Formats: sequence, structure tokens, C-alpha cells
Amino acid sequence: MKISPQDVLNALKAVHDPDLHRDIVSLGFVKDLEVGDSRVSFTIQLTTPACPVRDQLAAQARQVVAALGVADVQVRMTSQVMPPMREKNQLIPQVKNTVAVASGKGGVGKSTVAANLAVALQRTGAKVGLMDTDVYGPSVPMLMGGSTAPHVVEGKIEPPVEYGIKIISMAYFLPKDEAVIWRGPMLHKTIQQFLGEVRWGELDYLLMDMPPGTGDIQLSLSQTIPLTGAVIVSTPQDLALTVASKAIAMFQKLNVPILGIIENMSYYLCPQCGHREDIFGHGGARAAASKLGFPFLGEIPLDVNVRIQSDSGKPVALDDTTPHGKAFQEIAGALAAQISVVNYQVGPEITIE
Amino acid sequence: MPLIPKKIKLAAGNDSLAIEWSDGHTSVYPYRYLRDKCPCASCTGAEGPKAAAASPFPMLGVKPLKPDRAELVGRYALQIFWNDHHSTGIYSFAYLRECCPCGECAVRRPVENSAPGAA
Repeated sequence: MKISPQDVLNALKAVHDPDLHRDIVSLGFVKDLEVGDSRVSFTIQLTTPACPVRDQLAAQARQVVAALGVADVQVRMTSQVMPPMREKNQLIPQVKNTVAVASGKGGVGKSTVAANLAVALQRTGAKVGLMDTDVYGPSVPMLMGGSTAPHVVEGKIEPPVEYGIKIISMAYFLPKDEAVIWRGPMLHKTIQQFLGEVRWGELDYLLMDMPPGTGDIQLSLSQTIPLTGAVIVSTPQDLALTVASKAIAMFQKLNVPILGIIENMSYYLCPQCGHREDIFGHGGARAAASKLGFPFLGEIPLDVNVRIQSDSGKPVALDDTTPHGKAFQEIAGALAAQISVVNYQVGPEITIE
Repeated sequence: MPLIPKKIKLAAGNDSLAIEWSDGHTSVYPYRYLRDKCPCASCTGAEGPKAAAASPFPMLGVKPLKPDRAELVGRYALQIFWNDHHSTGIYSFAYLRECCPCGECAVRRPVENSAPGAA
């Protein structure tokens, strides 16, 4: 029996993307289809290299085509990160997705999570930038082991690159023990410059490590660019979750989609005896996510290695054979999937005449 | 999905701005009404009451009020640049929808505070 390209596409319609809830053919993921006598080859182009179900989709696609009686099925997997359908980002047009990593409360590990997510995304092959918007307490350069300073090329700031990630932070512009003592308008200006005056180039994801709170910086950022979405980091304790819900309320007011909630310092495994201690309680963020109807992206246990590696500028996500590296890899995958979901959902473009 | 504008027409005729919303509703705002509804700190009295300044050049006459242009603010609001050089008002979509002047929306609003003695 001769198989037509249409037969193959019909078969592939049985393969669904679990996040976007549509089949891979109508999503336009199937490319370069070649149908020979006993040989079929095609490419599946995903919306992110960090796709958590990459292997599963490849296996399913191979299976349904083989079921047509094709002896030799070649599936190539590639990815191209999508910008939002409604793209109106004039300040940084080459940056496809901008994601705020926020918490509400301080000290829950936002910067550590942001740095590790950036590393995890970069390791999948995505082009990633990391912007430290915490002007008062910048910590990204230390977490990322930054030693090079930004320099100015043709009137724009060239950001340092650490572990393949472009980074900008107020820490680069201040002597180590100096402090920034500013009122709001200066913060606003800084955020605008971090966006518009830095040579970010082409990026799939620009992660923004936010300061705690719901103030000047959060508002400036949400007003200056149409953020793709925000990720909320919280510890499981009620106090942190209560404040996190304020951050969620702020982003909802500003129409910024909540991409999901991450539970940090989720529990502690004693390295001596293996006993597990839920220091801040456990599962609070997951429960809050399901109550509020947001995706729960994952949990990261409290661990002395995370602290040691963070302080020495070597994010744990650099090694995904460790439990923590693996956790960040999985969370980055879940986050990338949610970004794709949001980008498929955003409404029609707003036109002003 | 929050309620957002699909189309904003700055010059929709009759000195008014029109918004077509994602739910199909259309709001038409006369310029004067919209300018009076400006939510900025200076217009809402955060900087203290202000008497309307008379023009120092009465011979120029009064230019009819209109927006020169407008820009989207992030994902949630519209900033209008009026031809009287006022532009500090950031009209959130929620606020714009809330003050839609059409009869259908007006009946859902509580009665606005009227001056003492007014009927």
C-alpha cells in the first residue's frame, strides 16, 4: 500500500501536546515531511528546547507512523521559541519572552531560583538573559560568579556573559560596599535603561529577578514592557504565602499572566540520618497554587549545597545529575511549557487608530 | 482572560474616543468626559486643589480638546497624550470599562457623589 503525506499527517493528529491541549499537526509543529516507499521522515518543531515532554512526543509520533506499516520512521526534534502572538515590545524587540521572578516576601530565594532557572533554560539550548532588577540588593552577579564588568560599545551597554547567559545588575556599577540610596524616579530610570540601553541581542527568555514587594520596580517593569508573565517563588510557610498572594494580586491588576508557583526550601533531608524535616511546613505553595488555579511548577528542597554553590558563584543547575540540578531542570521545563501556553492564549492585538 | 480592548479609536468622531472590548461591547468617551476622568495624581487632587488656570493668551482662543496620541502601558492600561500637554494619566483598562458612559453600563454604577444641595 502506498502511503501519502496526508495519511501520515492524519496519523500524527493523534499526538497531542499535553500543555497546549492540541494535536501537533494543527499546532504547526510538523515540518519537512518526506514520504518514500518504506521510509517517512519529518521534523517536530517544539515551542521551547526545554520542552518537558520532548521524548514522549517523539516516541508517540514514531509509534503512530510506524503503525501505518512504515518500516523506517525518522523523527527529528528541533525547537523555536515563540514570541507572544500579541507582540508589542518596542523597547526590546529581539527578546521573545520576558519573565519576572517575584515573591512578595524577601528571603525566599528568588535570586537563587532565578539564576538557576536561567542556567537550566540555557542548558537546553535556549538563548537566555538574566536581569537583576533588585537595585537596592543586587545579588545576581555573585550567584553567577561574575567577574567581568559590563562595558560600553557604541553608546550601549554590553552585558557580561556568565555560563552562556547575558547578565545585567546594579552590582556592576557600584563599588562593593557602596549602597544605592534612591527614591522611585531613579529606580524607574534604571529599569528603563536596563531594558533599552543594554545590548541584549536576540533572546528566547529574559528572566528578571525582582526585589521583594509590590512597589516602584514592579510597577515600572510592568509599565515599560508587556511582560510575558510572572513566576512566584514562595517558601511553604503561611507567612510567605500570604505575602506572595499580594504579589499575585498586583500582577493580576496589571494584566501580567501568572505562569506558576515554585516552592523553595520545601523540606530538609538530613545528610547524616536521612530524616526529613519540613522546616517551613510542606506543600503550602502547591496547595495555594491549586486553590488559586495556577500551575505548580515544582519544589526545591533546602540544602546546604545550594547555599555553598550559590555563594561561590556556581549555580547547582549547572550539574543536572544532582537532585537539585534535576529539580531546576524540571521546573525550567514546566516554566517553558507554561510560557508557550500563555503565548498561544494571549488575546488579539490591541490597535490604536 | 481579563477584559481588554481589541481596538482603540482615538478619533471616533463627535470629539470622542471609542473602545471595542474583547467581549464585544463598545464604549464611546467624549474627550471632555475622559479628560475630566483623568486618574493622575494632579487631577485627582493628591497635590491639593487647583484652580483652573486661565490662559495667559486669551487672544489665541480656546483650542478644542483632543488626544494627540496614545500609548499602551504594559499589558493593562492606556496613556493619553492630550493636546493641552497633559499626559500623566494612566487609564487602566479596568478603569476605562468602569467609567464607560453608555446607558447600559451607567445603570450598573452607584450614583456618583453630587454636590450638597443638588437634587
